[in-house]
Amino acid sequence: MLTMKNISKVFKTDLVETHALRDFNLEVNEGEFVAVTGPSGSGKTTFLNIAGLLEGFTHGDYFLDGVNISNLSDNKAAAIRNEKIGFIFQGFNLIPDLNLAENVEVPLRYRGFSAKERQRRVQEALDKVGLGARMKHLPSQLSGGQQQRVAIARALAGEPRFLLADEPTGNLDSLMARQVMELLEEINKAGTTIIMVTHDPELARRAQRNIQIVDGQVCDFTLYQGGQAHVAQTEQKVAS
Amino acid sequence: MFLYYVDLAWRSIKKTPVLSLLMVLAISIGIGITITTLNVYSMMSFNPAGERSDRLNAIQLWSQGVNSWDEYHSLVTYQDVMNLRQSGIPKAQAAMFRTGAAVQTDDPEFVPILRGIRVTDSGFFSLFSVPFLYGGAWDKSVDSDPQYQLVIGEKLNQSLFGGENSVGKTVYLNRKPYHVVGVIKEWNPQPKYYDPLNGAFNSAEQLFVPFSLTPIEEFDVWGNSSGWKFEPMTGYQSRLNSEKVWLEFWVDLPSEESRSAYRSFLSHYVEQQKQLNRFTDDKAAADSVQLSNVAEWLEMNNVVPEDNKILVGLSALFLCVCLVNILGLMLTKFLKRAPEVGVRRAIGASRGQIFAQYMVEVGVIGLFGGLLGLLWAWLALYSLSAKFDVADGLTNLSMSMWVITPSIAVGTALLAGLYPAWVVCRTKPSVYLKSQ
Amino acid sequence: MLNIKPILSTLMRSKSGPVLLLLQIILSVAIVANASFIIHERLGMMQRDSGIVESEILTFNMYNFDPSIDRVQQNQLDQQLLRNLPNVMAATSTNMLPLSGSGWSSTLNLGPDSETAQSTPQFAMYLGTEHTLETLGLKLIDGRNFYPDEINTSLTASGKLAIVSKALVDATWPNESALGKVLYEGEDTQITIIGVVEKLQGAWIDSGDLEYSVIQNVDWGGRSYLVRALPQHHAELKQAITDVMLKENPNRVIDDFQSIKAVKESSYRDHQLMVTVLSMMVVLLLLITSLGLTGMVMFNIQRRTKQIGTRRALGATKADILSLFLTENYIICVVGGVLGGGLAVLLGQQLMQHYDLPQLDLLYPIMTVLGLLLVTTVAVVLPARKAANISPAMATRSV
Repeated sequence: MLTMKNISKVFKTDLVETHALRDFNLEVNEGEFVAVTGPSGSGKTTFLNIAGLLEGFTHGDYFLDGVNISNLSDNKAAAIRNEKIGFIFQGFNLIPDLNLAENVEVPLRYRGFSAKERQRRVQEALDKVGLGARMKHLPSQLSGGQQQRVAIARALAGEPRFLLADEPTGNLDSLMARQVMELLEEINKAGTTIIMVTHDPELARRAQRNIQIVDGQVCDFTLYQGGQAHVAQTEQKVAS
Repeated sequence: MFLYYVDLAWRSIKKTPVLSLLMVLAISIGIGITITTLNVYSMMSFNPAGERSDRLNAIQLWSQGVNSWDEYHSLVTYQDVMNLRQSGIPKAQAAMFRTGAAVQTDDPEFVPILRGIRVTDSGFFSLFSVPFLYGGAWDKSVDSDPQYQLVIGEKLNQSLFGGENSVGKTVYLNRKPYHVVGVIKEWNPQPKYYDPLNGAFNSAEQLFVPFSLTPIEEFDVWGNSSGWKFEPMTGYQSRLNSEKVWLEFWVDLPSEESRSAYRSFLSHYVEQQKQLNRFTDDKAAADSVQLSNVAEWLEMNNVVPEDNKILVGLSALFLCVCLVNILGLMLTKFLKRAPEVGVRRAIGASRGQIFAQYMVEVGVIGLFGGLLGLLWAWLALYSLSAKFDVADGLTNLSMSMWVITPSIAVGTALLAGLYPAWVVCRTKPSVYLKSQ
Repeated sequence: MLNIKPILSTLMRSKSGPVLLLLQIILSVAIVANASFIIHERLGMMQRDSGIVESEILTFNMYNFDPSIDRVQQNQLDQQLLRNLPNVMAATSTNMLPLSGSGWSSTLNLGPDSETAQSTPQFAMYLGTEHTLETLGLKLIDGRNFYPDEINTSLTASGKLAIVSKALVDATWPNESALGKVLYEGEDTQITIIGVVEKLQGAWIDSGDLEYSVIQNVDWGGRSYLVRALPQHHAELKQAITDVMLKENPNRVIDDFQSIKAVKESSYRDHQLMVTVLSMMVVLLLLITSLGLTGMVMFNIQRRTKQIGTRRALGATKADILSLFLTENYIICVVGGVLGGGLAVLLGQQLMQHYDLPQLDLLYPIMTVLGLLLVTTVAVVLPARKAANISPAMATRSV
């Protein structure tokens, strides 16, 4: 599903070069639920941005669903984001001027669906997150947890194969966080691959697989399967 | 998708009403001023002859002596006109000047009115494509064999005869009876291109009488007479014999061949006159004649005043300031919305789609600005005609402006929006997503 | 004053905003300087003294169309009737109206031989009577008025005399008395100057020869008349004149009653229009520029809320914050003013080259920049006061 080989990302300014990712390798299979943890500044967000095609990378190869992302034009990347990837952010990032239905509709608009199709999908997605009755409300009229559920509905409306979540529960209290987490698990069970960045070990433990990023490299695989954990050996290659 | 962008634009405009109003006002004021001056300019620089502009030619002759006038005068002498009228080359020709007289009818109750009159030849009406309501021009023979006939305008026909077919009726000019042979349909070319010298935006005369009557009736000259040397004036005959210029002379030369034929006829004529001790300046005969088509004629007689050109220039600069102004405001506004753009980009909007969205928003603002600007222009033109007595012909908002104005406004706005929209569509989605 | 260097580097870094503002100011200065220059020039033209009592002079046209009348006699009778009307202070016939844009103009030679003699500049040629000076309210500063028996009734009569304007004397015979000087019309017609008036303008307000005028002793009857009366009597006089004249002889058309003041206004209308339009442009331009500036400052404040909070937390006073924004503004204004001044001069040169405009006075760009500094100060201070009120606590808030 997702394959990253020797990905590295360097930010350059006049004075310093920062290696956000170094020879980063990762393989995520279809239907997996992967949690990514790591200290702040370790490169989690960079990884997510690259995985979500929001940013390019300096070296390496990245295949998503069999497509080579390395030299993708901006338009193609946008189309892939639109069709294959759903995003969920810590700050929800709903568009404040649009009501719930319109927010969920945004990706469908860009995909060029007919009005009828859009309406069907919006209804379905909002129903799935339990907010189908509040389509005309504005984001500001909702609680944080509800807003995040709308964001999830928006991510799901396009029926993506792949969901990227960046601290989806970071701004929520624990009750709401649990509800959101349950929703994500449900979605994963329905077949969507999920990669979730979090710094909450509780949440991370609920995922099938746990990856830790330190200094821009994957340093630890932990597979949670039926409560059993085993440590995988991290392959490290010295940068040439 | 376009309608979706319009919807988004409308929401965005509503969300920041003050800023949007500021932008709309800025565009509308710039447009209002530009359109006002442009409208007056386009009216002034209009060529009423249209496609006949090239074939209608005003004749000018370098009849002045040595060391006098250093450019062509727009007018010519009576003796030259009488000689040139002999030529058979032009399809039609007309000498003309303006006079005036007290107008009366057979109705004894009718209070005499003083009216301007054009003294001209039968060719005038075909030269300038004058439309007739009743009757027509006097016969060509009248141009050499004077008859007391006249052509009147529709408006005068209304006030003299209640608008009925007055052909055959009598009109008295300074108590002398003239027979009406034709009534002109409402005709008032602006600028008054056949005679821009006496007020280029005055109305066309309502009375036309044969030029051949001039030596008999000794019509007053209500226009310029100029002489390049002192000649004592002892009566009307001395005016006719003099070197004073006071007539316009127009010819219809439909083809390039006829124009060059006529030009050589003219230089041949000057050659002849030089033999008779006229045209004493040392210019060659061929260089002593000038044919000006309507466009050149209007230009030469400064129909568009300099002030108007300056105003058009300054208002265009003004529009530039408005453009830069909205560019700044637009940039301000769009950058503020960068986070939203980030979200849209992440969700899968391409740069082109974001660009289009913002250009539509700019276009909508431009459209509002254009409509409001049209209102300003209309008000400005209205107050110009009310307060400054500018000719109505100049202050009517021309129909084309209804299309041109919004186009310029939207065009200006789009131009101003180009950079901000480009900046905002290049927003890196990842930058604004992390935290708001 | 705050340290300019860090402000400058801030400006340099956030390129587009200040650049746009700069561009706007440059264009504004160029336009406003030239526009106000033209306005000033036109106002100056309009304020020139014509030398005549404009508002007291009522003019009208009388068109006789009875071919059998004796025009000379009728004209003299008509003028007598005019002078006998109540409230009429003076009246005369004339061949042209001052400041009207139409009339007679001529040049005359200073000697009999037209080949060699020098000539006067182009002047307006009034034909009038012994009543003309009083009717127009002219001030005779040298010589005398015409005597009644000197007035001719045709241009070709002998005994031609002239009263001329001082400006014409100064241009033709500097530092000499004009009295007794002779002007030649052709070879044998002589005109003797008998008087000089302090001021009398001609008919063409845009001409450089406006101040040059000559009044000849010819009663040019039958068309235009000048009647002097206090303005409040004009309305009733119109009726009275029409009645009296038509009663005397019905075969004429009497119309075009208007005061010279109205004639003057309509002649200057285009200039008045230019002044009005340009003034509106200047006001609107300043308005738009300052509104744009206010908008931009407001945006800057929003964007830099945190930075301003930090500055406040580090000990900046409210006045410091205010002067931070003002200094930014002044830097842009001064740079824009200098560049705009240059552009204004260039634009002025273009206008001078292509149109009949004098050279732009440098005072105008300078005044414009000063005016702009004033207006923009207001435009900046209003929103910047808000910035100064930002609490230092903003520095620590993360959202």
